[in-house]
Amino acid sequence: MTKAAFQPNLPAARKALQETGRLTIVALGSSATAGSGASAEDKSYPAVLQAELSRRLPGAEVQVLNKGVGGQSAYDMLLRMQADVIDEKPAIVIWQTVINDAIRDIGEEKLAKILNKGIGKARAAGIDMILMDLPWLPREGRYPHYDDYRAVLVKTARDQGISLFPRYAMMKGWSNSRQFTPEELVGMDGLHLVDAGYRCLALRLADGIVAGIGPVRIEAAGGGVKPTN
Amino acid sequence: MSSQPSFRRFLLLGRPAVDAVLAAPGRDARIDVIRGLALLIIFINHMPGNVVSAYMPHNFGFSDAADIFVLLAGVSATLAYGGLIEQRGFAVAGLKLGARLWTLYIAHIAVFIIVCGVVATAVTRTQNPLYIEAINIQPFFRDTVEALIGALTLTYQPSYLDILPLYIVLLGLFPAIYYAARLSPLLTLGFSLTIWQAALVFELNLPNGSAGTWFFNPFAWQVVFTLGVVIGRAAQLGIRAPRLIWLDLAAVAFIAFAWVVKVSSGNPTGIGALNDWFDSVQLGSDKTNLAWTRLLHIGALAWLAIRWLPAGATLAKAAPGRILAHAGQNSLHVFCAGIVLSISGQIVLAETSFDLGVQLLICTAGVTILTGLGIFLSWYRSITKRGASAESAPARGAQLPRPSLSSR
Repeated sequence: MTKAAFQPNLPAARKALQETGRLTIVALGSSATAGSGASAEDKSYPAVLQAELSRRLPGAEVQVLNKGVGGQSAYDMLLRMQADVIDEKPAIVIWQTVINDAIRDIGEEKLAKILNKGIGKARAAGIDMILMDLPWLPREGRYPHYDDYRAVLVKTARDQGISLFPRYAMMKGWSNSRQFTPEELVGMDGLHLVDAGYRCLALRLADGIVAGIGPVRIEAAGGGVKPTN
Repeated sequence: MSSQPSFRRFLLLGRPAVDAVLAAPGRDARIDVIRGLALLIIFINHMPGNVVSAYMPHNFGFSDAADIFVLLAGVSATLAYGGLIEQRGFAVAGLKLGARLWTLYIAHIAVFIIVCGVVATAVTRTQNPLYIEAINIQPFFRDTVEALIGALTLTYQPSYLDILPLYIVLLGLFPAIYYAARLSPLLTLGFSLTIWQAALVFELNLPNGSAGTWFFNPFAWQVVFTLGVVIGRAAQLGIRAPRLIWLDLAAVAFIAFAWVVKVSSGNPTGIGALNDWFDSVQLGSDKTNLAWTRLLHIGALAWLAIRWLPAGATLAKAAPGRILAHAGQNSLHVFCAGIVLSISGQIVLAETSFDLGVQLLICTAGVTILTGLGIFLSWYRSITKRGASAESAPARGAQLPRPSLSSR
């Protein structure tokens, strides 16, 4: 697989920055979002993303809320969509999911329905969505239907016109290029991104989000004059 | 025919009519047999993606083995500790209940440690991180101190280790629910439903880890437990279920309806307004906060079991029933062993790429081990009890009838 372009369409984020100077992002997901394998809370990808976006969008008030709960299926997250995403009124939601559905083999048709429902909810609330691709696994044969579930995710994103963050391709690239040692890539637990991996993931996401928003005149957050001291 | 006014009187006032014909109280094998079956189903379902789990009840109805387990927990707690309250008073019953809660707590912690060990071993040997993901055990490896404190305070529960904490909380609430059911089962159920609905409105649940909540929300699941307490109270008083043919038919119709909904894909009725509803129940029913469909389904099943399954020892006479009853009588041991076995099974399944032969072998082996454990423990108790009663029989006089729930 070649390096996929990642430039999401983010009208809500652009509007929020123009009008309020604020950018709120919800990171909805399972343990890769919660920060499995990271050495500390602030090394998880949402934490790095927040720091990175704040740096790249000077003047904007950027907040990335970590709503990752380890072990959750797409359905579990669909149930959380209202309270954890919509009620937070973000401009963007990054949805990292499907891994537990693939492991549990919940049924491809069912998964497609759940994803479509989740996407529909976010869309109805006027939130831009980014879906995150599955991780690349060194030995996918353990889960015979892994590719099929990934295909459902890719197809749903395409059909719905939602940009898919190419995590799979990225990780596969890392493993081929040997930029990371296997330990760095997967950590003690085999494949969770450790700090370096989370950092790369967050940087690529920040690249895409900044490019997706495009050049924007940021209204100073709160509309007030910056205090000088 | 006199059972109906008696039943109504029970629901309102918690007492039978003075002249009611009561069923003879005695050990009811239905509880043990069904509980044994539920334990085996839970074991199979805790290995998702295996071919046998596609034939388990959750595919054919709104409720599943967890609902049965919690309902029977309420029934048997009433027979065990409610009986003790009546015979020995609250002090003795409270002490026994406290001892039982302690046992459950220790069992939960032990299973937690064993599961962490099993997963750690598997991950370091296979380099497959997804075992950690699947069981949500990462917090234990990332911040062991915090996770350990969370485990001890029941505020961190990895997947599959969430039923015992619920059981502990519900059993802790038992005296309050029992005394309420003694006054009025109907009011108790009404109050219980109100708490559930209020918890939904105010989004009440107990915390699990830094961001999550309990998988089994106790504010919701107390409804199923309370229903069990009311059923247990009726059994304790020897009140027979009234012959309400219309209710039997309604229950059968609802179960059949659930079956059709679950096995069909999409909306078979063709009524457009129902599309969303069909979609939502086919995608899954809200297990965390319970769902009306779940409650109605378990209620219908319970009603039919009370009405039509033979009471007394009949169900445990034939070999399959007897084997299940042994598992049900030793439910805590069998449950804990089942958790460890199913998580080990998940790992073996993935390592063998879900080979069909291995799947069937693991399911068969697990069921054999769990039922074997039940038989062994029953036998063990019988031989140790024989020795003990020989020593203490003259001093103790008449023994209390042993409650249906094995509380040991």
